[in-house]
Amino acid sequence: MIKYRRLLKYASRQWPVLVAIAGLTVMSSAVSVFQPWPLKVMVDYALGNATLPSSLAAFLARFPVSTTTALICLAAIASVALFIINSVVDVAMTWAWVAYGERAVYDLAADLFDRLQRLSLVVHSRRSVGDSLTRLTRDAYCIYGVVQGVLSPIQHLLTLTTVGFVAWRLDPSLAMLILVIAPIHAGSASFFAPRLKRRAQKSRKQESSLLNFVHQTLTSIPLVQAFGTEDRNAQQFRRMASDAVALSQRGVLLGNAYGIVNGLTAVLFNALVLYLGAQRVLSGQVTTGSLLVFLAYMNSLQGALGGLLSRYATMKSLEVNIDRVLEILDLDPEVRERPGAITFPASPAGGRGHVRLDDITFGYESGRPVLKSVSLEAHPGEVIALVGPTGAGKSTLVSLIPRFFDPWKGRVIVDGLDVRDVKLSSLRAQVALVLQDPFLLPMTVAENIAYGRPDASRDDVVGAAVDANADEFISRLRHGYDTIVGERGSTLSGGEKQRIAIARALLKDAPILILDEPTSALDATTEALLLEALERLVVGRTTFIIAHRLSTIRNADRIVVIDHGRVAETGTHDELVTGNGHYSRFHSLQFGNLARSEATR
Amino acid sequence: MRPWWFRLLGYARSERSGLLSLALLMVAGIAFATLTPWPMKIIVDYVLPGKALPQNLQWISALPGAASPAGLLAWLVGSTVLLFIAARTLSTIQNYVQAGVGTRMVYHLGADLFDHLQRLSLRVHSQQRAGDLVRRVTNDSGCVRDVVTGVFLPMITSTLSLITMFAVMWQLDRSLSLLALLAAIPLPIFMKILTPRMVQRTYHQAELQGDLMAHVEQTLTALPVVQAFGRESHSDTVFRSISDRILRAYLRTLLSQAWFKVFVGAPTAIGSAVIMAVGALHVLQGSLSVGSLLVFLAYLGALYGPISGLAYLSSSFASAAGSSRRVLEMLDVDPGVRDASKAKPLPTHPVGVRGHVQLRDVSFGYESDRAVLRGVTLEAFPGEVVAIVGPTGAGKSTLVSLIPRFFDPWEGSVILDGIDVRDLKLSSLRAQVAVVLQEPFLLPLTVAENIAYGRPEASREEVVAAAATANADEFIQELPRGYDTVIGERGSTLSGGEKQRIAIARALLKDASILILDEPTSALDASTEASLLEALERLMAGRTTFVIAHRLSTIRNADRIVVIENGQVIETGTHDELIAGSKSYRRYYNLQSGSAQAEADMRAHDPVEAEVQEK
Repeated sequence: MIKYRRLLKYASRQWPVLVAIAGLTVMSSAVSVFQPWPLKVMVDYALGNATLPSSLAAFLARFPVSTTTALICLAAIASVALFIINSVVDVAMTWAWVAYGERAVYDLAADLFDRLQRLSLVVHSRRSVGDSLTRLTRDAYCIYGVVQGVLSPIQHLLTLTTVGFVAWRLDPSLAMLILVIAPIHAGSASFFAPRLKRRAQKSRKQESSLLNFVHQTLTSIPLVQAFGTEDRNAQQFRRMASDAVALSQRGVLLGNAYGIVNGLTAVLFNALVLYLGAQRVLSGQVTTGSLLVFLAYMNSLQGALGGLLSRYATMKSLEVNIDRVLEILDLDPEVRERPGAITFPASPAGGRGHVRLDDITFGYESGRPVLKSVSLEAHPGEVIALVGPTGAGKSTLVSLIPRFFDPWKGRVIVDGLDVRDVKLSSLRAQVALVLQDPFLLPMTVAENIAYGRPDASRDDVVGAAVDANADEFISRLRHGYDTIVGERGSTLSGGEKQRIAIARALLKDAPILILDEPTSALDATTEALLLEALERLVVGRTTFIIAHRLSTIRNADRIVVIDHGRVAETGTHDELVTGNGHYSRFHSLQFGNLARSEATR
Repeated sequence: MRPWWFRLLGYARSERSGLLSLALLMVAGIAFATLTPWPMKIIVDYVLPGKALPQNLQWISALPGAASPAGLLAWLVGSTVLLFIAARTLSTIQNYVQAGVGTRMVYHLGADLFDHLQRLSLRVHSQQRAGDLVRRVTNDSGCVRDVVTGVFLPMITSTLSLITMFAVMWQLDRSLSLLALLAAIPLPIFMKILTPRMVQRTYHQAELQGDLMAHVEQTLTALPVVQAFGRESHSDTVFRSISDRILRAYLRTLLSQAWFKVFVGAPTAIGSAVIMAVGALHVLQGSLSVGSLLVFLAYLGALYGPISGLAYLSSSFASAAGSSRRVLEMLDVDPGVRDASKAKPLPTHPVGVRGHVQLRDVSFGYESDRAVLRGVTLEAFPGEVVAIVGPTGAGKSTLVSLIPRFFDPWEGSVILDGIDVRDLKLSSLRAQVAVVLQEPFLLPLTVAENIAYGRPEASREEVVAAAATANADEFIQELPRGYDTVIGERGSTLSGGEKQRIAIARALLKDASILILDEPTSALDASTEASLLEALERLMAGRTTFVIAHRLSTIRNADRIVVIENGQVIETGTHDELIAGSKSYRRYYNLQSGSAQAEADMRAHDPVEAEVQEK
């Protein structure tokens, strides 16, 4: 039940709507008390021989038609009026419910989304996007059920007491019969609830895996088509789908069995009331009209009771979704802001962009460290090149600076502050990065460039693009800066995308710059263009550059060679190349064939 | 063009038997529904006033114990229970069959859409958002169920039960029946007026939901940038603003539904009231019994069900129309690349050797006014290694994408072993081509499954052998569960070189005659590249290979080098020929190898690189 309480905070946000819903609920209970009366009046007084109560007779005498005709008209009008009130209440209630429930759903979904996007990249590396999508778009609906789970018992209780009271006044002993069926409803609810929950769990899992599969396929289309796995995927889809069909059929069967048990209880109960009530009409104790009213009441009591008890079963099946939602909310973000986290001072002593890594150990999976006791210092404005074999931990190392991950051991210190003591937003504002994958988003080119500074003017954007050597090709695009980039940047070439990414980093204007193989996907000519742009970007910033081509690395102030998660060597190009360490091997490896071919020529 | 629902009904055809049994069950259900108020009528008309049963109902009192009023009462009450059980059993069977039929149709449509989507050319995909497409497959395909089991079947049963009940009412009291009919006249008019708006609003709502899904998907896939640029709050705001719009759209939809309900409910309610009044007068005149009036009212109540059901039908029809538009829209997208009607598989052993590729005067672009390739002609003989070099954006990747027919050229043709690729079955064409791209695209399956992606029936030995040839076996063995390690989505826990080696193993196992290497090593450092090159050499042996690479070390050993600039082939030749005779290639070569012996010349030749060097 604790679970529900946590979700109820979304429910209590719009309490005025809740109050309105409660008011409407009371009205609909009242209407259900009055609804059967016009028929009773008609059957008993107009059609039967019962004598009218004197007040009603006096009232009817005022009309210019016979008492009976007046009574009939009155009953008809009353029933129309009741219908109108009933449907107005009904429409208003649906409206309020949707307005309220959907709002709560989206509030919850927005929180889930926000939580997801703030989770550390380590957490994401273990999660699939498809699964997150289902939780956001489907499971968030559980909040509806939670609110209903709290409100509808109130409504049912209200109906039970008001209608029950009136029925009791009409015939106490018959009314008590309702108590007989309560345990039956309770029993069936407790029998079916856990089964319904398990069923729901299974279909949820099935749905999620189908969604995942579709997502995964649609995001790897080049692979799918190149390897011709379309047919296999289609079969897989059909197989998963037919499992889902079987599951849904079994679910229907179970749900219906539950319905039958409840319905049967209801109909037996009605039959009993009809039998006993009719006996009383026969013996003259009650009128036919009263019997009709009584039957109608028993029906609504029954409905309320059933509704009240089956709520348990519904809540039980909702637990699955609730669990899936809470799982996200409970997920340890791993990178978390400390309560008293501060922002960077505007201009720290000793300039901005001083970075120190202190004895850092880190890995993505426990027991498989990627970095082992790495220490490194970069002074403001210095260019540090990181080299080493793929998988040595270079990208991981630089990811620790904007705190995408927290190290297992050791500290990352920027401008004298441990990054864990600084507000994440303030820390990340200090760092611009250009990665190998430019990650352009499907918005306009201008919006992509201004991604880190959405308030930048068009002039600033164009200025950054010019510096990044991107202005020329952007101007040639169909809508220039307002061209929308295709999903994942598909209609631009790699070099064009990367230049946009550089413009984006330029516009952000941060003191620390991380270049993680920004040019490795490009050919030499394009790289030359880019290098020029990068040179402008590097000026005055502490730069960490990971690159494979030595031409890019050679001019660094310091070269750090990383091997197997450790710093193997440090020094300038000239220092390292003359030694007999990793770097000189690395160097000769890259240019080995070249020398050979020069020799053959 | 055929209306959308007609196309969806195509999916109903395969479920004919299920639908037929559903219809029968529904008819039986109507019979029980018609009988339901009768025990009550008999009780009110005959048992309570103590009258004798009429001639046609005498058989009831002949039942054992039914002679006394109490016994008769017991039988009548008991019959309500029996009627309920029968009706309920029918409806359970009906629901069961319906769930099967409905879900099957949905997945059938979903599968068709999914299949269609994965065959759409990459050009179409570059313009679509994956999140939105996923939603179309998994959510919007529900429209077929909504139409068939939510609209057409209920329409038939509602109509049938209306007719049956009307017939019974007609027997009881004609003028009352006519009154009831009168009340029903405005209903179709209201429906006609109110439906189009509901359709429009529902479609709008579904579109917005697709937008939301796409936003979430994009944000989560571009997360490193989102976090690095501190855009979490912004993307949160976008989420909330889209969801606000969804909410408003939903409420607007709901409003039109509410109007609908009021306009359809009012005539029914007023009709009931009038019938109650007139019926009561008829009872007073003696032309109708109280019990019959109750039956009438019960029918009217029961009719309200089918009628408002019919009313809701058009609203569910409307929402189904909205989502079906989203489904059919995608189904109607021309796949761009598709099997020609006379397409044939590639002959298994063509004369001579396999892997002869010709491009003849090929022009192509992604957008109609922006040609990427212009009149490219190129030939590769079986087993030859052709390197394609040129600046980024020159059209190198596009060029090689035409070989496995990811796109069809605007003009010109691609010819494989003497046959135009458009005359070949896609599956047979693509079986001949293995690719290793810059992005390895590993799937969240086990390592072994990833390697066997192109040949799932491959044995574990074959998988391991391919991995060993790709220099991948060693690191795979070190993974926590070896070949059975499931790769994190988008391959996050493996390094770039490891991922690429798995991709090479995957291509090796496919064993195709043509190999396309699109910058397979550009994301890797020199020493990793060296170990990959070895693997690639093994992969290239005996295959016609197209290699795009930026590092000249990879290119130099090619049999032929093709230099592409601005979508045109400007030079062709061997490395030595080009270096001797081509300015453009030499410049390119110098730039690339700038850091080695050629450095000095290069400084003189290229101001850009010189500037970089000076820093």
